[in-house]
Amino acid sequence: MTAVLDRPSTVDLPPARRRVSRRWRHRLTVLSFMAPAGIGTIVFFLYPLLAAIYFSFTRFDLLTTPRWVGLKNYVYLFAHDPVAHKAAWNTLWFVLILVPARMIAALLTAMLLTSLKRGGGFFRTVFYLPALAPPVAATIAFVFLFNPATGPVNGVLSWFGIDGPLWFDSPAWAKPSLVLLGTWAVGDLMVIFLAALLDVPKPLYEAASLDGANAWQRFRFVTLPSLSPVLLFAAVTGVIQTLQYFTQAAVAASVASGSATTGGGISSTFGYPEESTLTYPLHLYVQGFRYYDMGYANALAVVLFVVAFAVTLVLLRRFRAFAGGRP
Amino acid sequence: MLRRLLVLTSAAVFVAAACTPGTNASDEIAPAGQEAEGTVEFWHFFTDREGDAIDQAIAGFEKAHPKIHVNVTAGQDDAKMLQAISSGKGPDVGLSYSTDIVGKFCSSGAWRDLSPYLERDQVDLDQFPETVRSYTSYHNRRCAMPFLADVYGLYYNKTLLQQAGFSGPPTTMTQLADMAKKLTKRSADGTIEVAGFLPLLNFYEHTPQHTAPMWDAKWLTKDEKSAIGSDPNWPAMLKWHKDLVDWYGYDKLQEFTAGLGDEWSADNAFQQGKLAMAIDGEYRTAFVENQTPDLDFGTAPVPVADNQTDRYGAGFVTGNIMGISANAKNPEASWELVRYLTTETNVIVDLSNSIRNVPTTTDALNSPGLRTDERFKTFLEIFANPNTSTTPPNASGPKYVEMAQEFCNSYLSGASTDLTGGLKDLDGRIDEALDLGR
Amino acid sequence: MTAVLTRPLRQGTMVRESWLVAVARNSVAIAAAVIFLLPFAFVFLLSFMTSDQALTSNLWPTTWHPENFLDIFRKYPMFDYLVNTVVYVVLATGFMLLSSVPAAYALAKLRWRGENAVFVVIICMMMLPPQVVTVPLYLMWANAGLTGTLWPLILPMLAGDAFSIFLLRQFMLTIPDSVVDAARIDGCSEWQVLLRVVVPIARPGIAATAIFQFFYAWNDYYGPLLYTSEDQSNWTLSIALSQFKHLHHVEWNLVMAATLLVMAPVIIVFFLAQKAFVQGVTLTGVKG
Repeated sequence: MTAVLDRPSTVDLPPARRRVSRRWRHRLTVLSFMAPAGIGTIVFFLYPLLAAIYFSFTRFDLLTTPRWVGLKNYVYLFAHDPVAHKAAWNTLWFVLILVPARMIAALLTAMLLTSLKRGGGFFRTVFYLPALAPPVAATIAFVFLFNPATGPVNGVLSWFGIDGPLWFDSPAWAKPSLVLLGTWAVGDLMVIFLAALLDVPKPLYEAASLDGANAWQRFRFVTLPSLSPVLLFAAVTGVIQTLQYFTQAAVAASVASGSATTGGGISSTFGYPEESTLTYPLHLYVQGFRYYDMGYANALAVVLFVVAFAVTLVLLRRFRAFAGGRP
Repeated sequence: MLRRLLVLTSAAVFVAAACTPGTNASDEIAPAGQEAEGTVEFWHFFTDREGDAIDQAIAGFEKAHPKIHVNVTAGQDDAKMLQAISSGKGPDVGLSYSTDIVGKFCSSGAWRDLSPYLERDQVDLDQFPETVRSYTSYHNRRCAMPFLADVYGLYYNKTLLQQAGFSGPPTTMTQLADMAKKLTKRSADGTIEVAGFLPLLNFYEHTPQHTAPMWDAKWLTKDEKSAIGSDPNWPAMLKWHKDLVDWYGYDKLQEFTAGLGDEWSADNAFQQGKLAMAIDGEYRTAFVENQTPDLDFGTAPVPVADNQTDRYGAGFVTGNIMGISANAKNPEASWELVRYLTTETNVIVDLSNSIRNVPTTTDALNSPGLRTDERFKTFLEIFANPNTSTTPPNASGPKYVEMAQEFCNSYLSGASTDLTGGLKDLDGRIDEALDLGR
Repeated sequence: MTAVLTRPLRQGTMVRESWLVAVARNSVAIAAAVIFLLPFAFVFLLSFMTSDQALTSNLWPTTWHPENFLDIFRKYPMFDYLVNTVVYVVLATGFMLLSSVPAAYALAKLRWRGENAVFVVIICMMMLPPQVVTVPLYLMWANAGLTGTLWPLILPMLAGDAFSIFLLRQFMLTIPDSVVDAARIDGCSEWQVLLRVVVPIARPGIAATAIFQFFYAWNDYYGPLLYTSEDQSNWTLSIALSQFKHLHHVEWNLVMAATLLVMAPVIIVFFLAQKAFVQGVTLTGVKG
């Protein structure tokens, strides 16, 4: 606990006045530090959030002034837009599959790294590298590599007599292909798990093996509990990120569809094939920036916000002490 | 403190809501006879060779109007134009590749009403065929001028047809299916090497939009409600496609299309002889001439449904259209450009000759300077056919067409199995979606 | 928080491993390494092929064409896109540091009423999907006439970036309070404490945060898609790469060359700043 110490110049004032002017000076100081961020919070966070809620009750397309329509957009969302439901399901699918897949892959590779006696640094760098690749570049590379007709992946599979699936061109395989892309780029998560694994106190492992625990039991009773805060953190942030999943799905759809969009624009390909890769944010984008149903897009946005906020609350509740962070 | 913050922010929200950057057109136009001058921002969607042709036409315009300078931006599609105009920064003149946006732009005022100009300069609208006039206005508000048209017909590879013993192209859908099957070549493991005809509806120019006229399948009713669920031609059309898809095998088709070249390059499947028959626009003749001149091909109207043989010769037409933004900085000069490109006969003829699109004025159609060979003539005839139709304009733009497209895709892939039920459901969804945009 | 990963990676259990298990482990590691590197290798090989060969399923270039890398600059305005991206990245990072470092300091080392509430708000901002506020923000920028440019992405950095503030705060928390107090006793104002004492100590953390911002801006697709799609001259590399397919007939070998070019700076920066970067990454997952 540190107290704000006196400044020489206020020493001569009577005590009460000294406290007051000191407090005001302190407040001004804090303001000077926080002002840009504070303005940013209001202008780029609070205002748009409230505006989004307001606009979700209007019919609005940027070409004409917004017109109040009450709950019409929400009725349409919940009752008449099966594409929105499909999009919500797609995003949920990614949350349920991509997040655990990445966590498991990250944990496995991190554990592999800790068990290597030599060359750990080299392997760590190699495992991390894919996470560095810019998402657009990585997605284009993957779609090309997984091209069912000319790509090397199906080519290699055919050497083994396997008739490879249509990957990004198949409604059933498009999302799993994106999961493959996501687990390939698992390096960023892996490094976090690696740091946590290295922080597990060695004596715990020694004590466990002295008690006769085998590898699996050591993992289950020593590693996992020590790792649980990091795992939870990774899970929650993973869910939040997946709720926003946009770039890879958009680029994969547009590259895989290969359809000429001269005149129509890139967004006409989003969701290819057959809306299997249409995540909720993509649907929002299409409604708002392709059809210019902006009121409706805002209704979609508000629903997304509610879900994201619920997940955030979980994080906040669990990490209240961590969030405070100070003695 | 927090409450005050919330109140202030909410107030800001309401204020901001009232301000849309979009359109603030003034309807005044200059009196007749004055010479326009200034700079015009012109956006169009063509690229490469076709973009060069536009540039030449612009050069001609600047020569004829030395006081007007045109800044051309190529490759701007509808989405970009809509986005730019909505944010108040659009071009002065825009050239769109299809009539999809006419409904939206006319009804919202994004493109100006051109009637004052047409009246002032006494532009004769009868020089455009009826269909063309219909797709450049919406609810009696004419906000666009037609700029060349695209007409769709059947291209067939003469070499491949002769090899299989066919002397001419098919004229009915049953013939098309039969010929497609006989023209298809497969390798030993069943992979398609040459396809007679691709029945998928999301491939190159094979889309529901372009095939619906061949079945006389209607899109919207007079009061802009979906007609799809109640029109028996739709199930007929989709069943024909599905039967052919099943014959090929859907997965095999997907695999085949994944390996095909880009539509606009020399690797185009038809141009490379991988596709024996294809539906495509009249511009394809120019692409073949330019990229694969050795291809021996013919053109014909697209086959019609078996019970509609009297409609043979009709097709799908869509026009490129031009309009002036509501917030154009120089409307007078913009109008000069629009008028020049859409009504000057020799300009239209030149453009048609280089891009190989169909001219839209009767003078240009009858002009001796128009380069017509046998293959291009097919399209001129389709264009003149009274049964040739287009997708009706609508305030929500291309939305209903795209929704129908999605249903067709899912039916053909086997994801949806209930045809009549699915079409009825599509009906309802389109109506709701159109209602949302009102 | 020391550089966690400079510790040796051996975790060392008490159980002695059989030689076979060690071989198995190393084989798995090697196999994994191969799989992770394979896509890079393919992109590399493809970028040296001719356009025709790139369309086949051949894996090795029959002839090598390094001029492909020059071709992408000659045939397409790649240089413009590169400049746009660099400008975006540099300005965004610079502005972020200007606004976020002081805010992080205030949250870490100053005590004031409402600081916990503000920190919670920062966490909420970090967690907010950008699509929620996209439409109103777009309207705001449209009213300001700035759509079609990169300014809607750059200017907000002057007003702080939630993730960066969070990260910087975590770094600054590791600086002992005694150091800060000593400076205060010496008569420094808070700004002087920040600039003369804290910043130099927190340099690795600031570097890590800056690198995060660099990567975020370099890889950003959604932002430029939203704001610059209508004006090709303002595109960044990520948009250009995704649109390669639509405006020009595709030459896949060039697309791969461009892909490599877009990946390269990130990898180079990573190697140069590895230590700082890894430090930053581990702090985001710190268990407290």
